[in-house]
Amino acid sequence: MADIAQQAPGGSPARAIDEAKRQKLLELVRGRALARPTDLAEDEVMVWPSLVVVEAVCATVFLLLLLAASVLFHAPLTERANPNQTPNPSKAPWYFLNLQELLLHMNAGVAGVIIPTVALVALAAIPYFDRSPLGVGILGTSAKGRKIAGFTAIFTTVVLVGMIILDEMTDRTQFGIGAILRDQFGAPEFVYNQILPVGIILVTIAVLIVLVQVIFKPTRREMIIALFTGFVVTYLVLTVSGTSFRGPGQNLTVPWQLPMEH
Amino acid sequence: MAREQTLADKISSSSLWRSVVRHGYPDTQRNQALIIASNVFLHIHPVKIKRYATKVTYTFCLGGLSFFMFLVLTGTGVLLMFYYIPSADLAYQSMVAIEADVTFGQLMRNMHRWSAQGMVIAVFLHMCRVFYTGSYKPPREFNWVIGILLLVTTFLLSFTGYLLPWDQLALWAITVGTEIGGAAPLLGEYVNLILRGDFEIGQSALIRFYTLHVLFLPLVAAFLMAVHFWRIRKDGGISGPL
Repeated sequence: MADIAQQAPGGSPARAIDEAKRQKLLELVRGRALARPTDLAEDEVMVWPSLVVVEAVCATVFLLLLLAASVLFHAPLTERANPNQTPNPSKAPWYFLNLQELLLHMNAGVAGVIIPTVALVALAAIPYFDRSPLGVGILGTSAKGRKIAGFTAIFTTVVLVGMIILDEMTDRTQFGIGAILRDQFGAPEFVYNQILPVGIILVTIAVLIVLVQVIFKPTRREMIIALFTGFVVTYLVLTVSGTSFRGPGQNLTVPWQLPMEH
Repeated sequence: MAREQTLADKISSSSLWRSVVRHGYPDTQRNQALIIASNVFLHIHPVKIKRYATKVTYTFCLGGLSFFMFLVLTGTGVLLMFYYIPSADLAYQSMVAIEADVTFGQLMRNMHRWSAQGMVIAVFLHMCRVFYTGSYKPPREFNWVIGILLLVTTFLLSFTGYLLPWDQLALWAITVGTEIGGAAPLLGEYVNLILRGDFEIGQSALIRFYTLHVLFLPLVAAFLMAVHFWRIRKDGGISGPL
């Protein structure tokens, strides 16, 4: 509701008068409908100029930065495509390298299709699980929410880096458990390469949930913050690992020993 | 108090000028409202807005930047299309020509490449901003879902564009990428065949990726963005503290 007192010439908001009475009075005095389209409430501004200026400045600054980057750095163009010459390593575009990293540790269908599909559906479903309007417009909802995000980020990074190194040391056989299932129990691929890795992922998520529950006693929104942060950090860690730490044969290496630019 | 008519006044009060711009100079609230409401590009905005919604440190302009990069990509993309030839035989050659022979060709290609990467990053960060400020909560649930579809569309736009330079980087990135998709249980083989139009990446894959990249996916993105922006307005503008 527009606060007409802001517009009244020389008028200070007459707080002492009861609101309903004041509005009736103003109506009488002005002899017209209360709110015009241009009447501004105390917490409102005109889009022109207040927002349009911000947009114009942002667009200009960003265009200049983009121009500078495009003058300074050339887009890569390697030799002509040659189906007979496979580069080692061959890598997907960087934003899919998280999936390619995942692919090293389990069945391709699980890593490349099932997990990303489940992740996207889960992301899209967030608003249907967390419906309370509390904390809207506040970064991380609350101090506790921000702490949970920080805790989850550290937990996820440490666990993921540990898991990647551990699986690499055991020749990517699900920390050696897969190898034992396969060699000693004759388990089929379905068990050691699909069920087992999915189980490990679910257990890791469960550990995170239990830790956050015990340490922080979160609301539903704060628990979803933990899960979302876990997803984002996983995406980042796997992308960095796939981009900068996978050399020939997809073996772990250091970034400065990578053969090809991506 | 009447002031002297300047040349600018005469121009802006001429009937020719008034036929194009229907409002006066936006120095009064009335004209500031009219400029937003009567301009087809600006009327994406409401006339007035909550003060917190103009704060850069709330949105970091991420959604706006994503859209801005989409526009840059459309502009530079159209220019590149004048020279690029979507043929397995000629594509690489035309890329080399764009870089070496076409005036500002290298610059256009660089801008296209870097904004493509930038758009993926901006869209992802925009999703994070919207999440951490709880902006997906009712009534904005469905707009969040549209946003996820836009994220997927952005990935696909970038992915289909990746093949077009027809260099080693492009060929093998798309080989690995489509193999990931091809690993889908049951449907994998079909997905791969539909994407590539062949058993390996060749002319049919190139023309499919090209058509998806320059026509189909941009239309999908534009359609989803129209819904996305419209719903922001209908859901009461961008979110803010209650």
